Amino acid sequence: MKGPVLFLFFLVACLLVSPVARAQSAPQLQAQADVDTVGVGDIVHLELSAQSADGMPTDPQPGATPGFVVRGQSSSPSQTHISINGNRMDRFGLTVDWALQAQRIGTFSIGPPTVSVGGSRFAARPVTIHVVPAGQGPQRPQQQIQNPTPFPQGPGFSPFDPWRGLFPGVDPGAQPSVTTDPKLALDAPRGTFYFLHAAVDNTSAVVGQQVLFSVYEYLDEGAGASIEVDPADVRDPTAAEFVKHPLLRDEQEAILVGYANVAGRVWKVNLVRRWALFPLHAGDLVIGPMSVTLVRPRSAAGSKRATDTLHVRVTEPPVAGRPPGYALGDVGRFSLAAQVTPRDLEQGGAVGVHVELSGTGNVPAAIAPPVRTGVEWLAPEVHEQVGSVGREADTFGGKRSFDYVVRVRRAGDVDLGEVTLPYWDPDQKRYGVARAILGTVHVKPTAASPAASGEAPEQETLPGLPPLRDALEGTAPSHAHPDDSRLYWLLGVGAWPAVFGIAVVGRGAGRRVVRAWQARKASPTTDLKDRVSAANAACHGKDARAADAAIAHALEAAAIVHAGVNVRGAVGDEVIHRLEDAGVARDAASRVADLLRECEAARFAPDAADLLSARDRWLRAQGAIRQMEKR
Amino acid sequence: MKGLGFFVAFLVLFSCASSVRADDDPAALFAQATQALKEGRAGDAIASFEALADRGVVDPVASYDRGLAYATRVRIGAEVPGDLGRAAHGFEEARDLSRDTRLTDDATHALTVVRSEVARRRTRAGQPVEVDPGRSLSRTVASLLAEDTWAAMAVGSSALLALGLFARWLARAPRLRVACGVAAGIAAPMLAVSIAMTLAARHDRLGLREAVVVTSSARPTDERGIALAGATPLPEGARVEILEARGPWTRVRFGAIDASVAAASLRDLAR
Repeated sequence: MKGPVLFLFFLVACLLVSPVARAQSAPQLQAQADVDTVGVGDIVHLELSAQSADGMPTDPQPGATPGFVVRGQSSSPSQTHISINGNRMDRFGLTVDWALQAQRIGTFSIGPPTVSVGGSRFAARPVTIHVVPAGQGPQRPQQQIQNPTPFPQGPGFSPFDPWRGLFPGVDPGAQPSVTTDPKLALDAPRGTFYFLHAAVDNTSAVVGQQVLFSVYEYLDEGAGASIEVDPADVRDPTAAEFVKHPLLRDEQEAILVGYANVAGRVWKVNLVRRWALFPLHAGDLVIGPMSVTLVRPRSAAGSKRATDTLHVRVTEPPVAGRPPGYALGDVGRFSLAAQVTPRDLEQGGAVGVHVELSGTGNVPAAIAPPVRTGVEWLAPEVHEQVGSVGREADTFGGKRSFDYVVRVRRAGDVDLGEVTLPYWDPDQKRYGVARAILGTVHVKPTAASPAASGEAPEQETLPGLPPLRDALEGTAPSHAHPDDSRLYWLLGVGAWPAVFGIAVVGRGAGRRVVRAWQARKASPTTDLKDRVSAANAACHGKDARAADAAIAHALEAAAIVHAGVNVRGAVGDEVIHRLEDAGVARDAASRVADLLRECEAARFAPDAADLLSARDRWLRAQGAIRQMEKR
Repeated sequence: MKGLGFFVAFLVLFSCASSVRADDDPAALFAQATQALKEGRAGDAIASFEALADRGVVDPVASYDRGLAYATRVRIGAEVPGDLGRAAHGFEEARDLSRDTRLTDDATHALTVVRSEVARRRTRAGQPVEVDPGRSLSRTVASLLAEDTWAAMAVGSSALLALGLFARWLARAPRLRVACGVAAGIAAPMLAVSIAMTLAARHDRLGLREAVVVTSSARPTDERGIALAGATPLPEGARVEILEARGPWTRVRFGAIDASVAAASLRDLAR
């Protein structure tokens, strides 16, 4: 009995539970494109809607996109929780929109787009899209950055709340429910309603390395106002020091890349410019701002919105390890392939050499053929297929093919060498060399020489060049030059004339000094000193008459120096008068006159002169001289 | 078997290391370059010589051989525009740097060959054939003697002048006074000239920057980079004096011409 009951219970459980289990394990997926026919270059939106009860669908992938490149992706997750009579039901939804750009004509099966739920990946049905030549696609309504609803107040208009959205920024309910991308977030908006933001993927690069430059427009989703930019006043950024390759077509519409949270508000972010820039030289290179003028909303009409000026610090790749033949600017990752046909020819004949250069980066527009004597490379015919490459279409690259006609003038097995292209790989930070070996061609000699065939011998270019040297000479050791030193100019060149000049000047100065000294020596003051010295000496001697004569002379000299009068030859009271007239006190004048008289008398007295008297007179004479000096 | 694998790996690593060394070793690069030039592989030779120059190797023989490599590329019919100018640059540099008179003579001869070709082409194009207007008189005189020789002459002249004046000043004998006066009279202008030439040579050594035009023609422009109407382009291979470098434009003097040309059309001469 127990067995049938258990079986019945199991059967009922399976019948009741299995549909639910099936529903939970397989999410509902729906993929669709907004159009089924587009022109080359047009954007088609592939939308995948996934609903699951198990968990949030994650990691959406568009699948294969032959003929298209993915230009952008936006995701909108949603959750619904319903409780009925105590039974809780959860629904998780994810809507993903991929912007795909058509690249070539044809019918393509896109996808299948997939999502991951609970660790398992589920696929929707692929979508078929027809791509027709550019401009021949069906007309679609212009996608404008305007309010798509018929209500003038903007999205989210409710008849129950007619004032909602009338005052932009004050209605919290105006914020759309979208998933924001942290990578697009900014610290603060650069303007109200709308602003532009420019960014580069790398602010330092080497010459020739790609710098991905993007300009985004941010639209305030919650502002509730229609925004319109004046198409006639859109000024592109300037990047004169870069080679510029647009990765989006100029006429292409802005691509939605997601939503951003900027200062607490949700902004819709569109990519409007994407360029691959290749620096032309080292230095601090500048990317100028892009600017637009707003037309709507009216409150902001006429206001400008511009990006910041960006700087990129550019250096040259290192010299160490640089392979011979490296040309500055060849940066990326390249490969070469070559084909030579035919391999057998006659002397003077030609072969075709097809060289294909491909890779990412600024694919060089020219390659250096392996020129050598007897092999003439004519100018190549170049074909190119370059543009944006990669899944994200954020890398420039492609291929260029060079078709040469090569004339071989030598006979025998002629090695054409190899085509090489050295480049700097910025990812691996090292040099690489792309090579394509051309191999050997077999050249049959021809009997007809230029002379025999009647052709005039070609005139040799640059005749008579001297021979090659195969040993380095070495650089001359640098030595100090004497004229770099000040001592050379001061002592070597200047000293000789300077010494002569000093000698000439010194001699003249010496003469002037001697003359001045002599003149000073002959002055009354000097004479007085001499007379006083002579009187002292005479008074210490034994000749009294000589002492009296010296005393008289000293007094006369003192009269000249201190009174400015000459009393020599004056008789009687004339000495006193002269001195008084010169301002000497009568007392002093009388003393001088008396002393002169006494000296005169002692000198010419018939008796023997008295030396002690003379010394006494000299003491009195010195007092008289001091008295005249103090006057 | 395992040992053989290690051996092969060692050989591969060794060959890689050798190639790295060859890329960085100037002597190996020079050997590669001369070997390529001997074998007529002018393009490979130029690549190696230029790699040598990139590494800062300044040698008269390297410059001379580099000039020959460019000339060879012209000669074998694989000329790239500017090759003649670059050849002239190599020879000019070799002539300036070398102390070997034979190398100097060879470089001068090669320079004549290259400039003759440039002149021939300009004649065909109906342009003036003057390729080398020569240097100014003062610079030519200054370059007659080495700077140190001028410096020594200045010292000698100075001493002679001073001694002559001294002797004339001190001497009493009339004949001696006349002789000393004559000596001083000769020494004075000699001193002035030797000082001027010493200063000129020093200025050239410290401040003179010269370059060679390495494009087919360098069109003179004004200070804004606008081509001067009616101005004759500077010839390829012309040696010019750099007066001022302003970003993409360089003001140069070529004979009596004083104009700006694109900096990319010039290559500086090493000193």
